[in-house]
Parts: sequence; structure tokens; C-alpha cells
Amino acid sequence: MKKTILVVDDFASIRDFVCQTLQRKGYDTVSANNGNEAFQILTERPESINLVLSDYNMPDCTGFELLKKIKETPTVAKVPVIFLTTEANIDKMRIAREAGLSAWIKKPYRSETFFAQIESAINNG
Amino acid sequence: MDSNQKRFVADVLDLLNELDEGLLQLESNPQVRAPLEQVFRTMHTIKGGANMFGFTTIGELAHHLEGLYDLVRQGKMQVTDKLMSITLQAFDKVRDLLKEKDIAKINGSNALQEYILAAKQYHVDDNPLLANTTSSGQKDELVTFLLTITPTIKLTPDGNHPLLFIIEDIAALGTSRSLMRLQPSGDVQQWLAFIATTSPQPELESYFLFVENECQVEYDRLTTGSLFELPEFSGFLDQVVNDSLNKEKLEALIKLHLERQKQQASMDIESDKDVVERKKSSGNDSYIKVNKHKVDDLLNWISELIILQAQLTTTAATVQINTLTEVAEQLEIVTDRLRDTALEIGLVPIETLVTKFKRLVRDLSKQLDKKVNFLSEGADTEMDKDVIEMMTEPMIHIIRNAIDHGIESPSQRKEAGKTEHGTVKLKAFNSSSYVNIIISDDGKGISKDAVLKKAVEKGIVQADADLTEDEILELIFHPGLSTATQVSSVSGRGVGMDVVKEKIDELRGAVTVKSHLGKGTSIHIKLPLTRSMVEGMLVKVASTRYVVPLHVIDRIDRIAYQDLLREDKVDQMVVVNEHPLHVLSLRKFFKEEAEVPKTSDIISMHINGVRKGIAVDKIEGKIQTVMKPLGEAYRQQDFISGSTILGNGSLALVIDPFRLTF
Repeated sequence: MKKTILVVDDFASIRDFVCQTLQRKGYDTVSANNGNEAFQILTERPESINLVLSDYNMPDCTGFELLKKIKETPTVAKVPVIFLTTEANIDKMRIAREAGLSAWIKKPYRSETFFAQIESAINNG
Repeated sequence: MDSNQKRFVADVLDLLNELDEGLLQLESNPQVRAPLEQVFRTMHTIKGGANMFGFTTIGELAHHLEGLYDLVRQGKMQVTDKLMSITLQAFDKVRDLLKEKDIAKINGSNALQEYILAAKQYHVDDNPLLANTTSSGQKDELVTFLLTITPTIKLTPDGNHPLLFIIEDIAALGTSRSLMRLQPSGDVQQWLAFIATTSPQPELESYFLFVENECQVEYDRLTTGSLFELPEFSGFLDQVVNDSLNKEKLEALIKLHLERQKQQASMDIESDKDVVERKKSSGNDSYIKVNKHKVDDLLNWISELIILQAQLTTTAATVQINTLTEVAEQLEIVTDRLRDTALEIGLVPIETLVTKFKRLVRDLSKQLDKKVNFLSEGADTEMDKDVIEMMTEPMIHIIRNAIDHGIESPSQRKEAGKTEHGTVKLKAFNSSSYVNIIISDDGKGISKDAVLKKAVEKGIVQADADLTEDEILELIFHPGLSTATQVSSVSGRGVGMDVVKEKIDELRGAVTVKSHLGKGTSIHIKLPLTRSMVEGMLVKVASTRYVVPLHVIDRIDRIAYQDLLREDKVDQMVVVNEHPLHVLSLRKFFKEEAEVPKTSDIISMHINGVRKGIAVDKIEGKIQTVMKPLGEAYRQQDFISGSTILGNGSLALVIDPFRLTF
């Protein structure tokens, strides 16, 4: 069965590019502009989303706030979250990992690493 | 550029407008959180996207500026005018760069280097205390690490586990060699990764953060510098593949490496001096000041050379000696180059003007209680220094008008459904031998009815005159016509629009106005690159040759000469391209009555929005030439602005179409 990834980024060209890349690799994608929108989509259809791939710095609801909300909500807490971001602050990375983040992919990424992390997160939760 | 990159460029341009807005808000309210957050985030987004889509220099610039604004966010730094200017100017440059369609050119351009340096320097200059706390302080040191990575789970080398790729990513951080050891079962036992990199250890650690449960990593900082520079090191690595890691041998190599480093350092001191000296003279900032007279003299001599060269070419063509023709052709190439280079010497970027205008816009908008953003595009466009000086006042006047009469007050703008911030935009670009400057605003536009009414009141036009919209807009350049209902201290001073026009005419330029009521006004000024070069059409009337500046020419039509003889006047209406055209016959004007030709070529021109024509006998071709002033006695000549000497040594008169009055 095709896996569905929720892509969250406030910057449209990046969001679309990431979606296209994932679709070419055989994933279904759903996209959201910011953390709030993403959380809403996720809680409305928790069963159909296999992974959340989110930007870190976004207006309104940041990636980290989204991560915390997801992990605090029992119905969706199991959905793995990956950050795809230019942010490279190791403290922020540690905190996010503590909060249950599955992987932190730095932009620009290499596609092999990118897909390996995604596969691994989807399979291992 | 692929379609993703194109979309990114479009998105970035939008973002840059938001950034400008944010920056200006930040400037007026440095204590308010929201604009600062917005600026920071925009910078961050640009950085991410730029790196992802391959715009490396833009990414780097955004990275450094983001760092600065992050410090502001953390309260470690203040928003200063200088920071603001660096940011605004830097992103103006980015805007310019993004017009380029070739990504290699964008990345290859060093237009942003100056700002990247300025941003880096800003850290150090303005915040000596911070210099050590930022990562840029440590980042530059090259260190060789040995990473020993032992997986704690079962892994085959051909698998798809993230760890396998992370090791490749780590290896890509510098010069590296990673060696993999396998267990008899075929699973990975261990990796040894030697890597010489400028990334500090915490950065290396961060790569393994999310696979901590799947592996153990040991970090050995072997030495400063790169062990890979040591020829013996690669032999050592080859051995490691087969045997176990020989620590003693490695130590010995490190020692050897350090000794060589020391030797190298003492040798470098001498050559370093050289490099510094050379850098000083070849760096970006190496300018020499030259008296303008000297440049003018140079240009003058070059113009003589061009004439001589043209004569040589003509002579060579007549005597038909191959070797001479060849020399003449090469001389032509060299003189062309020489001419271009010499012309460029006198050109300076209009950047200084832009800075001046930015200030002006800031000050004026405050004075008038309006919110105005000033955007500039193409500030690196170059122009003759004299031309810049002559145009400064007129352009200031245009911008003043735009802010005073064009841009509405914030409340009016809101009512009209616009953003509170108005925008005044200066766009400069080159087209062939012209510089184009477009000053536009998104204000309320010029009311054509008001202009017309005023013009009628003042008796400038007849009440029943049938004017086109363009003709009505032209009226704003008429002396003594100002649409401001009251003379304010802002627009009422200094030169008027008539002087603006006068100056532009004097420079053989052109100005056009476009305005949409409620949407804004844009004024397009087109100026020749330099004052002494003319690009024109060489034409012949009887035995005299004239040069008509190319930029005013719309089209050329050939008609029967008889058509010009219907009336006895020098000027008359002739039907050209199915439209009547007011045409001046040079033949009739100068009373050249001998050898009447069968046909006449009509040159249609667009002058100040009016179509006019001149009739000549024959078009001889396009030329680029140096204009010489006429002698004292002929200064007052109506529509002849100068002369030029042609290849055969004969003279051609340069027509000034703006002074053609008929």
C-alpha cells in the first residue's frame, strides 16, 4: 500500500518540490502551510498519514510546537515526525529528539540519505 | 534553470517584498517583536530554499544575515542603521541577480561577496564581545578527525539503513577516506573514517544524533591541518584496510605532519607578505582617482583615432592591397576595444544616487506622515559621472513628487484597499548604448482631467483641443504647470518638471510618463551612456551628410519625391504607412535644388510623444561616432547639435530631433 506523507512548509516552492520528489519515489503526499494546519489534517485522519515531514521555523506554529502537539495527542502520537530544515543548532536537535523526533534532515540534503531516513522512520515508527 | 528553480525565484521575489516591508517596520519600531520575527524567518526561508535549489551565494548571504538577526532576537545586539543598510542593499543585489536566467552566472557573480563580507565583518566590528561566541570563529580551523563507528544492530553494506548514508554525508564534509570492516557473516563490524574538515566536532556529532541507538561513535581529533597532505598518509591508509589500525604508525605520521607544517609556516611568512601586497593592489577596493579632464582628453584623442582609423579603412578598400586591408581591420577591432574601455573609465555605478534617494524617501515620508518603501533595482548600472551629476536634482524632484503627490496617506491607502506602505521604485538598466531609469510609485496616479483643466486655465492649451492621454501627461513638463493644489515645502522647491525635461533633452535623452488613476505613476527616463558618442543613421541630402540619432527613429518609408512637392512649404503633411505625418524636407529647408532624386526616404520619429518626420534623399547606414561641437559661429543653429567626421574625411552634421520645431 502506498504510504502517505504530510509535508509541512510555509514556503510554497520548497513544499511543492518536496512533494514532487516524494511522489516520484512512490509516496502519496498531503501538504500543509504551517503547524496548525498540519495538526488539524493529522487529527482529522490519523489513520491515513504515515509520516509528518515538517520545516522547523514557520510562522504561527513552529515545527517544534507541532512535534510537541503530536506527541502529546494519544491518537496521533505514534506518527513519526521528521524535520527537514536548514536549522542546525545541535541543542535544538537534542531537545527535539527528547520530544520524540525521528530524524532531522538538514537542507540541502542528499536524496539517498533523505529517502533512507524516511523509509526508516516509516518502518520503525 | 529548471521549473522548480524558476518557481523558487518567483517565490523569493515575493518574499523579498515582504522582507522590505518587515525591515522598514522593524526600523521604525525596533522594540516590537513581530517584524523582527518576520525578518528573521524570511531570511531563514530564503537561506533554506536557496541552498536547496542550488543558489549557493544567496544561501550564504542569507545565512550570515540570519545569524545577525538571530543575535538581535536573542537580545545580544541592537538593530542599527548600518545593519539595516547592509540588509537592504544586499537584498537589492539579490533581486538584481535573480533577473539572470542562468544559475551558474548567479552563483559565479561576485556581486554578493561584498555583502557577505560586510555581514561577517559586522559581527566582529560592532560586537567584539560576540566575536568568540559565534560559530564563525571556530569554523575555519582545518582539523583531521578519526571517527570510529561501530553499529550495534545488524547492518549489511548494501542495505538501506540511514547510518550507511550518514557515513557518506560525513565523508563529504571534507577530504576523507572511510574504511569498512565486515564480520564473517557479511554484516558491518566497524567503520574507520578519516576526515580532514573545517566542521567542528559538535557538528559531526549532530549527524549521529538520531542513530544513537543503532551505533557507537568515537571521535579522535588527530591533528590540526589535513593529514591527507602528507604523501605517506595514503600508503598508511592502504595498510589499514588489511591490517588493524597501527596507532604508533599513525602517531609518527602526525608528528611528521606537524613538523612539515612548521617548516611550511616559516616559508609562508615571506610569501604571505607578497600575497598581502598583491591583494591590496588587485582587491575590489583598488581604485585610483583621476582628474576628469584627463579622461576627457583621452576620449578626445580616441575620437581622433577613430576618425583616422575609419579613413584608413576607406583608403584600404580603395587601393585594394590585402595586407593593408588586414591591418586596417585589426586596427578597427583594437580601436573599438579602446573606445569601449575609455568610455567605461568615465562610468560610475548609480549606487551613490540610490543611497541618496533612500535617505530622501525616509526623511520625506516621516516629514509627510506617510509610509513609503523605497525599492531599487539595478543600482550597479553605470553611467557617465557628468550625467549622474546633471540628473541628480531632476530625479530628486521626481521622487519628491512621487511621495508628496503620488503616495497617499496610510488612511487613504487603506480606504482604497491598498497596503499602508506605499512603494517608490527606482529601476535602472542598460539597453544598447542607453541607460534607462524608471521611477514608479503605487500612489494615486495623475488625474488627467485636473492637468487638462489647469492647462486650459493657464492658457497653455485651447479649451477645445483634442489631446490624447499621452499628450495630456506630457503637459506636466510644461513650464509653470503644477497640479499640487497648494505649494508645500516638499514639492514646491527647487526645479520643476520643466527643468527635469530640459535637463534630459540636453543630454539627448527622452522621458515618458505613464499613469493610471488610483494605481500609480511611472516615469521612464532614457539617457545615452555618454554625452560624446552618437549612435545614428547616416543619411544623405544632395551632397551633404547628416546623422539622425537612432533612438528617436520609429520607421523609415520610401515615397516618391513628387509627393513632397505638392506644397511650396518646407514642411507639409505626407501620408506614410496610412497615417498623415508632418514632414520637414531637408532638401527644401537647405534649398538644395540640384539633381532632384526620384524617391525620398521619410524618417518617422517619436519626439516627446509627437510623431514627426524628416525627408532625406537616401539612407546610407548605421554608424556609431564621436560627436564634436560646432564652432562658436554655428552654436545657435536650430536643430544641428554637432558634427562628426566620417571615414572618408568628410563632415556629417548631427541632427538634434528635440530642437526640430515645425
